[in-house]
Amino acid sequence: MSNYSVSLVGPAPWGFRLQGGKDFNMPLAISRLNDGGKAARAHVGIGDVVLTIDGISTDGMTHLEAQNKIKACTGNLNMTLQRDVKTDW
Amino acid sequence: MNSMNQIETNMQYTYNYEEDEYMTQEEEWDRDLLLDPAWEKQQRKTFTAWCNSHLRKAGTQIENIEEDFRNGLKLMLLLEVISGERLPKPDRGKMRFHKIANVNKALDYIASKGVKLVSIGAEEIVDGNVKMTLGMIWTIILRFAIQDISVEETSAKEGLLLWCQRKTAPYRNVNIQNFHLSWKDGLGLCALIHRHRPDLIDYSKLNKDDPIGNINLAMEIAEKHLDIPKMLDAEDVVNSARPDERAIMTYVSCYYHAFAGAQKAETAANRICKVLAVNQENERLMEEYERLASELLEWIRRTIPWLENRTPEKTMQAMQKKLEDFRDYRRKHKPPKVQEKCQLEINFNTLQTKLRISNRPAFMPSEGKMVSDIAGAWQRLEQAEKGYEEWLLNEIRRLERLEHLAEKFRQKASTHEQWAYGKEQILLQKDYESASLTEVRAMLRKHEAFESDLAAHQDRVEQIAAIAQELNELDYHDAASVNDRCQKICDQWDSLGTLTQKRREALERTEKLLETIDQLHLEFAKRAAPFNNWMEGAMEDLQDMFIVHSIEEIQSLISAHDQFKATLPEADGERQAILSIQNEVEKVIQSYSMRISASNPYSTVTVDEIRSKWEKVKQLVPQRDQSLQEELARQHANERLRRQFAAQANVIGPWIQTKMEEIARSSIEMTGPLEDQMNQLKQYEHNIINYKHNIDKLEGDHQLIQEALVFDNKHTNYTMEHIRVGWELLLTTIARTINEVETQILTRDAKGITQEQMNDFRASFNHFDRDESDNLHSDEFKACLISLGQVGNDLQRKNGLMDHDDFRACLISMGYDLGEAEFARIMSLVDPNGQGTVTFQSFIDFMTRETADTDTAEQVIASFRILASDKPYILADELRRELPPEQAQYCIKRMPPYTGPGSVPGALDYTSFSSALYGESDL
Repeated sequence: MSNYSVSLVGPAPWGFRLQGGKDFNMPLAISRLNDGGKAARAHVGIGDVVLTIDGISTDGMTHLEAQNKIKACTGNLNMTLQRDVKTDW
Repeated sequence: MNSMNQIETNMQYTYNYEEDEYMTQEEEWDRDLLLDPAWEKQQRKTFTAWCNSHLRKAGTQIENIEEDFRNGLKLMLLLEVISGERLPKPDRGKMRFHKIANVNKALDYIASKGVKLVSIGAEEIVDGNVKMTLGMIWTIILRFAIQDISVEETSAKEGLLLWCQRKTAPYRNVNIQNFHLSWKDGLGLCALIHRHRPDLIDYSKLNKDDPIGNINLAMEIAEKHLDIPKMLDAEDVVNSARPDERAIMTYVSCYYHAFAGAQKAETAANRICKVLAVNQENERLMEEYERLASELLEWIRRTIPWLENRTPEKTMQAMQKKLEDFRDYRRKHKPPKVQEKCQLEINFNTLQTKLRISNRPAFMPSEGKMVSDIAGAWQRLEQAEKGYEEWLLNEIRRLERLEHLAEKFRQKASTHEQWAYGKEQILLQKDYESASLTEVRAMLRKHEAFESDLAAHQDRVEQIAAIAQELNELDYHDAASVNDRCQKICDQWDSLGTLTQKRREALERTEKLLETIDQLHLEFAKRAAPFNNWMEGAMEDLQDMFIVHSIEEIQSLISAHDQFKATLPEADGERQAILSIQNEVEKVIQSYSMRISASNPYSTVTVDEIRSKWEKVKQLVPQRDQSLQEELARQHANERLRRQFAAQANVIGPWIQTKMEEIARSSIEMTGPLEDQMNQLKQYEHNIINYKHNIDKLEGDHQLIQEALVFDNKHTNYTMEHIRVGWELLLTTIARTINEVETQILTRDAKGITQEQMNDFRASFNHFDRDESDNLHSDEFKACLISLGQVGNDLQRKNGLMDHDDFRACLISMGYDLGEAEFARIMSLVDPNGQGTVTFQSFIDFMTRETADTDTAEQVIASFRILASDKPYILADELRRELPPEQAQYCIKRMPPYTGPGSVPGALDYTSFSSALYGESDL
């Protein structure tokens, strides 16, 4: 489980789909990446969990809150994510 | 009348005669045999008076001039009186021839006086011839009273006339041109008197208009004061047209004799006076010369010693004063003296000249005052001056130099003394005795600097001495104190030199000792530190808490300890060596009586420390031995526990594994209905529950092991955790599997998927589940999906169970758009937890979802778009219009503002809202 940070250079669109949130009882994660999009170029991975948006922890955020937060980033979008590492039992 | 004519003629005649008057009187007498009666009268009176003036000296007189001289006796007498010579004795007889003889004697005498008597015979005189007698008297008068008159080289009558003229020159109203008319106003006579004896007559009161008065006054005075009898008759003179020349001449000649005599006397007196004056003057000059010479010589005599005085002064000022005095002397005092000398010379020369001119013998100044003496003295003076001036200047130069030198000396001496002050004290300091090595080194540096400073000052001291020497040579007045000071300085200098040397030696010696000590300290530190570390390490090691988990470990510790023990002797040796270094240090300090501490600046490790630590180490060794042995025992015990545990675990583990496999197989092999599967699974469950006690036992052993703090067990690969986890997994797996089947049953029943479909899905799933893990990796899933597309076709063809539309949706989602993004999306749906695998259930869910008519975010968005009349945004009014108020409000509240192109105020973004509903947002 390794954490990493990205700083996507604005403006939007960032080229990813965000999924989850407290109201869905699912972690806030990247569900999709647009080919050649900013997120994809920044080597964001599908399934990576978004831990912080613009320095603010996503803990307890609803989907809409997270969405708004990302939309509020007019310049760069700074996020820390947790890379999804496959485990073998 | 006759007489008048005669007078006129005579007048004429005599006028002519006037011009020739300077011719010899003899000739005149010869020619004029006639005598003017007036003249006769006058002559008679005058001659008589004249004769009487002389005869009264012989005590006799005449009354009648033609009678009284007839016997010739009075005549002879007269001549004797006049001439002062003795005539031959007169004949005493009364006879005519006696008379004639006497008269002849007289006449002879007259002739012997150089008078040529022409036509005057003795007989005529004896006979009483008036004219002859008068003539004769006149001859006598002429010869004896007038002839000898000499005035300025003019003699006789002319001389007399000249004399009258000269004497009456100052009197304007007198003009003597002759012996007749010029005398008529009487002023001439008065003038003559006044000229010689102004006290006798008040000339200013006289007047031309009273000639008679004048003449009488003159005659009166002459008779009273000058012893000249009245010889003229005033009236006769005044009244006659022309007074008798001879009478006038006779009377005037008396005046001449009276005054000239007086004058002669006067002249003589003058001459004498002049001579005397000259003499006096000369004497005065000589005296003056002598005086001046004396004074000058005296002055020179006084001055020369002053100029020869060579007493040196002490200060330049005094010398300057002397120079000033000298200047004064040259400027003020000497010039008058120069002048005096000059004057003296002039006087001398003048005097000599005067003497020479006045026929006197040359002036010989007295001894020592001669010109040569004066000149000599003056020369000496001037030499002395020169010498003095030179000496003054030299002295001043010398004093100047001396003062300069003295000042220089003082300055340099002061500077030096200041510099040297306190240096001896500093050099005598014993500060090095208790100083550290660096301090001593610093002292040495400072000392070096001082030494070079000293060397630099060597020059200066030498200079000072040189100046003192020069002062001595130049005879400085205070040379003594200078020498004193110089000596002090030199002595001090020597002493400084000595002290410097001593200090250097002391410092160097101290430095060496300190270095030695330092070296020892370093050595000590070098060895003590590692030794200390070693000891501390040893202590630590010996006290080291060890945790061993195996017998091998404890045994290696024991052997290590034994090895350690083997190094002890060597260590002891080192210890002793180190201690001896310290002893060495103390010995050095003591033997050189150094006042420094023996403490080691390089090391914090003290001897005591070493000692105590060593003791400690020695103590710890056996302690360690003991604890090691104890541990060994324990390890052995642990080993036993391990083996026990292992034995059991090695049985349980595989059993669990087996069971897991069985369960897995059962789900994979899906032959038969689900209910059958369920039963089998229930059976398994039962078995598992029954096996629990083994786990418990193992737990017990595990506890023991844990209590014994055994964390590893090489005898088995199974840890308690493994077993536990496996057991739990087993439990959960069985439960899950059962649940799965239950769910499948439910699903099957709910979704109307036939068993066949389910089997297809399963087949596909299993096909792609290459590793038979009952999970598909993403790529497996992808392949599966793809294949299922075909399967879908097949399905459609086969049983037409899938709805046409559903299937289309399935195709679309699985056919074209299987780019990575799309696939990832699908993955996120089927694998929301990001596990990278797709379970059959979620696969089923996905498949069913995809084929079911469920709401998707897209569909909701499409629905909103319809409401928004195809705008990318919706307005609140539209929402309120189309939706029930509650839902509309919910939307209005939740929808974010639309910020895309074509945005208007109040636009709401339904797209992001919708996707957010499904927990998805495209950003």
